[in-house]
Amino acid sequence: MYIWKCWRDTRSFFIAFMIIAAAALPVIGLVCTGTGVMRDFGRDAAVSTFGLLMTVIALGLGTIGAIHEFADKAVHFLFTKPRSRAYFVWAGWAVGCVEVLAIAFVNVLAGGVTLALYSSARFWPALLAALKGFGIPGILIYSLFVFGQTYSLTAVLRSGLKGLGASLAAWTGLSAFAAAMWARWRVHVPIPAERIGSLPVAISYGVWIVVALLFVFGAQRIVERAEI
Amino acid sequence: MSEVAIATKALAKTYSSIRAVGGINLTVQRGSIYGFLGRNGAGKSTTIKMLLGLVRPTAGSASIFGLDTRGDHLAILDRTAFVSEKKTLYPSLTPAELARFSRGFYPTWSDSALEKYSRLFEIPMNQRFEQLSNGNQTKVWLLLALCQGADLLILDEPTTALDPITVDQLMRALAQDARERGSTIFFSSHQLEEVETIAEYVGFIDRGSLLLEARLDDIKGEFRLITAAGNSLPAQTSPQVLAVDVGQQSYRYVVTKDAEGFAAGLSRNGATVTSIAPLSLREIFLQLVRKEEPCTFGNAGATRVPSSSPS
Repeated sequence: MYIWKCWRDTRSFFIAFMIIAAAALPVIGLVCTGTGVMRDFGRDAAVSTFGLLMTVIALGLGTIGAIHEFADKAVHFLFTKPRSRAYFVWAGWAVGCVEVLAIAFVNVLAGGVTLALYSSARFWPALLAALKGFGIPGILIYSLFVFGQTYSLTAVLRSGLKGLGASLAAWTGLSAFAAAMWARWRVHVPIPAERIGSLPVAISYGVWIVVALLFVFGAQRIVERAEI
Repeated sequence: MSEVAIATKALAKTYSSIRAVGGINLTVQRGSIYGFLGRNGAGKSTTIKMLLGLVRPTAGSASIFGLDTRGDHLAILDRTAFVSEKKTLYPSLTPAELARFSRGFYPTWSDSALEKYSRLFEIPMNQRFEQLSNGNQTKVWLLLALCQGADLLILDEPTTALDPITVDQLMRALAQDARERGSTIFFSSHQLEEVETIAEYVGFIDRGSLLLEARLDDIKGEFRLITAAGNSLPAQTSPQVLAVDVGQQSYRYVVTKDAEGFAAGLSRNGATVTSIAPLSLREIFLQLVRKEEPCTFGNAGATRVPSSSPS
């Protein structure tokens, strides 16, 4: 039942994001080629748009989906149900993950269509190239990382606004730190979903997934100990 | 099977330097209706939250049906219905959806009770919770608790915002539920008349301390207010003397048993016993927890009556 409740809390945003995910790339492609900004709306443009969109969507769903009962002031109702608090934390996270993945799928599909329509490639080759070349695993892991981080911070801080703010601050802080480290000492600090040192890409992704899960686990521990 | 529904041992909660509950020992018999009485901020809600695992005790322990409230938390919640002091719920859900949501958690859920009580309390089942009046929001909480088929109902100020007719219906429904299903009802209130209607046991809490726990029948049958005049009369409380109010000319004693014997003892000490009167719950409550004498004007209970005024 709680999964139904999580879906109910997020469905309007999910549908809105889904529409944005489906429409954004074709519209941007149309605008770019129509206005002559780009003669050929290529893979790089699609990938950057995809990454940006997924970041925004992950931030949005992470903010909305995390223990919504804190915002509704109904947490004393939820936490007196015979389920562990860990269950509520992970159920909300799982629903959000599925939503992020579904939106990503639609977004990739829309990206393929966009490339087919607005690039010089033909439809099917363009779509396949998009699927292969989008760096889909990296972007998905990045999206899930951002979602998990925002979700966890929102659950811990008991506020969507605070969670979003903290997540953005962490995101910006890490990016700025990585840039500074590179500029000053030429040390590469990996940001989420990037390859870590000389580790194979697959293992790097695995590490990032573990880090994302640790965020949620940390949130679970804090929520379990929270006094209501 | 434990015959005690709720038992606490030196249960305490402190927030920084504030003592919310100071080591109370409660015993609630299985199948009984227990009124937990106290002023605002006395520690009622904190005690209830500790029983339900919403707040961790600083010291002491509590058990429900013999299960430890820390270790067996989920097993307790399986058998316990709760109405919170704060009657907020998911604003966008209707009572029908809230019932659907709650039903999934409890195998003992009763749809017939849902139909019965939603009709009795006249709850608009398809209106969003946020659009309901305060009274109807309280009724939704009660509805969900009554349909759960719980062995224990813990109700924190369950009559908030209810009209007298609904309060009456609720009290009857609770008494019937306890009688028919053998459920235990533990409810906090400061509405003494309501408590007197159905409670079998009462506990008085004030400033985090349990001042009295007794059967209501014992209170009605044996507790007496003795008023006596004299000099240097005893002013200490004891198991027999629950409270002493020392005025300039008179002493007022709340005596739990053998009032005649106690009055005789006062007379032997040279006191003039002016009255021995039975006490209502309200009078006991006032004697036990009132820190200030009745006011002469303005904010009730806040201003001490000048000592020369007759009491």
